[in-house]
Amino acid sequence: MSPSIVEVVNVSREVAWLPWAVQYFFLIGLSVGSFLLTLPWFVLRWPAWERVSRIALLGALACGLTAPVALLADLHQPGRFLNFYLHPNLGSWMAWGAFFIPLYLGGLVLYAWLVLRPDLKRLADAGGRWAGAYRAFAYGGHDSVGAIRIAAVLALAGAALVALYTGMEVMVVSARPLWDTPFLPVQFFITAVAGAIGLVLVLDRFVGDGRAAAEAPLLRLLAATQVLVLAVGAAWLLLGISGLSPRHAEALAQVAPSAAWQITAVWAAGSALVTLWLAVRHPEWRLAAGLIALHSAWMMRWTVFIGGQEIPKTGAGYYVYHLPLGHEGMLGIVGTAGLWIAVLILLISVLPWAGQRRAQA
Amino acid sequence: MSDDTLFQSRRAFLQALPAITAGVALPMSTARAAEGKHHWAMLVDVRKCIGCQACTVSCIMENAVPENSFRTIVSTYAVQQEVDGQMTASTYMLPRLCNHCDNPPCVPVCPVGATFKRDDGIVVVDGDRCVGCAYCVQACPYDARFINHDTNKADKCTFCAHRVDAGLLPACVETCVGGARIFGDLNDPQGELRRRLDAAKNADAIKVLKPESGTRPNVFYIGLDPRFQGRVEGQAAMWQPNAHGG
Ligand code: SF4
Ligand code: SF4
Ligand code: SF4
Repeated sequence: MSPSIVEVVNVSREVAWLPWAVQYFFLIGLSVGSFLLTLPWFVLRWPAWERVSRIALLGALACGLTAPVALLADLHQPGRFLNFYLHPNLGSWMAWGAFFIPLYLGGLVLYAWLVLRPDLKRLADAGGRWAGAYRAFAYGGHDSVGAIRIAAVLALAGAALVALYTGMEVMVVSARPLWDTPFLPVQFFITAVAGAIGLVLVLDRFVGDGRAAAEAPLLRLLAATQVLVLAVGAAWLLLGISGLSPRHAEALAQVAPSAAWQITAVWAAGSALVTLWLAVRHPEWRLAAGLIALHSAWMMRWTVFIGGQEIPKTGAGYYVYHLPLGHEGMLGIVGTAGLWIAVLILLISVLPWAGQRRAQA
Repeated sequence: MSDDTLFQSRRAFLQALPAITAGVALPMSTARAAEGKHHWAMLVDVRKCIGCQACTVSCIMENAVPENSFRTIVSTYAVQQEVDGQMTASTYMLPRLCNHCDNPPCVPVCPVGATFKRDDGIVVVDGDRCVGCAYCVQACPYDARFINHDTNKADKCTFCAHRVDAGLLPACVETCVGGARIFGDLNDPQGELRRRLDAAKNADAIKVLKPESGTRPNVFYIGLDPRFQGRVEGQAAMWQPNAHGG
């Protein structure tokens, strides 16, 4: 008996988590990863890391402040976001997210202010039109290591919880075998850190002096993330192919026949290998390595969210997704990117992010 | 539900017809549900479905389902297989709707508790509470939910709760040409649904979709081919409304 089944009539469910969601997970991940890169200098005071940490602080703030906008825009009823606080269902990871995000962002902003206070004071001392404002904002300009540590712990707790909930929120959706894997939160986190390193490399080229990677072992760290990405990917594949985990086998069976998914897999593995190769062998091409790492972090989320939603839960084959131009599609991507650039420019122009070097200039 | 009440319901339906307007987003009258004696369920006799989509249309009319969205649809498949060395082609019809699961994965994920299961078993969305986050849409293993583009809230089959609360049958049941959809109360031993279920159960003929997912559906099927019980292995739909993202 060789049956063949052709679906003649069925409904196609459209993507309900929009490109805005991809943007949110991308930006909040980059912010958390960048925040981690600020710790070596601002908290641990390792001098080699100063450039990296200062640029990373810019990245953490710009991404962190833009991310919630993307998240709100992904709600189909954004005006009702207060319900998250009025009627939280604490059995839902998403409900917890509504509390973790402010915790993280509050901690991050407090931490950023504390670490930049001495620089704000220096800026005020240098005089100029805004000296008064900077002096008030510097609030004495103390370099209070104790307070910085406390704020760092707060932000770190927030960052850990954000990383946890963003991963768990997707992982618990057992209706989608592709999402239903403990590797997913890990993969989100590693690619976020890799993307953050990429962001530092890119910003270093355009707003820094291009030497961030010279002193700190940033490229080695990037290489390590790529090894981990490849290892986790291989482990997922192995569990699926061997059938050791029926869930992973099911997920693999859903995507394996699709040429688009095959290309995506080769693309992702290829990107990781190229990033690894550039990071290890060609430090002079670190801008390219950074860009590829950033792109991989974004692609991973796009594939998981948009690609994942193209897999019917009951029907045959795949749903077809066409990126619409308006609010539900392209606008979500372009809009968040534009907002991110605007916030970044604002931060660069008002904050003494580069420290002494800039204050003296 | 006994045949008698069925008849009552039909007559009530006809009398109430002018008053039943489409688009009732669900006035959550839980007065009846609070009594806790009903457990609404549906039995779909796949053998009787002729694939006419009368249910699909009546559901859209009754519930003002926006264009290109569906609370129920009759998935239709062309099946070719070799039987005794002969290639045969047949059509397989499978009416799909929300299963009003006893263990519904759509409920715990809702961040604001907008999705809940009433005491009478019907799973509904509180439209005033819903923030349109679509988490429930992701969590439902049956693709039974969608975001309604008119209301921007989660939408799905409600077992026509507004009709059931008024003593009527769901619209799709009322209009089913083949008599394939039987709606009733699992707790009513004399009801047609219970009797049909019990009779078929002895013959081991009752199935649900994706039983392995642990959702414990309240939409039961007679004549459900195991090849269609989970995700269908086959060629994608030839006609997919909504393929362009509404
Ligand atoms: S079928 Fe889907 S929407 Fe309906 S109760 Fe079950 S999980 Fe929820
Ligand atoms: S879309 Fe509405 S009902 Fe569904 S999980 Fe979100 S808030 Fe709850
Ligand atoms: S019970 Fe009502 S809402 Fe559900 S499929 Fe039938 S007509 Fe549509």
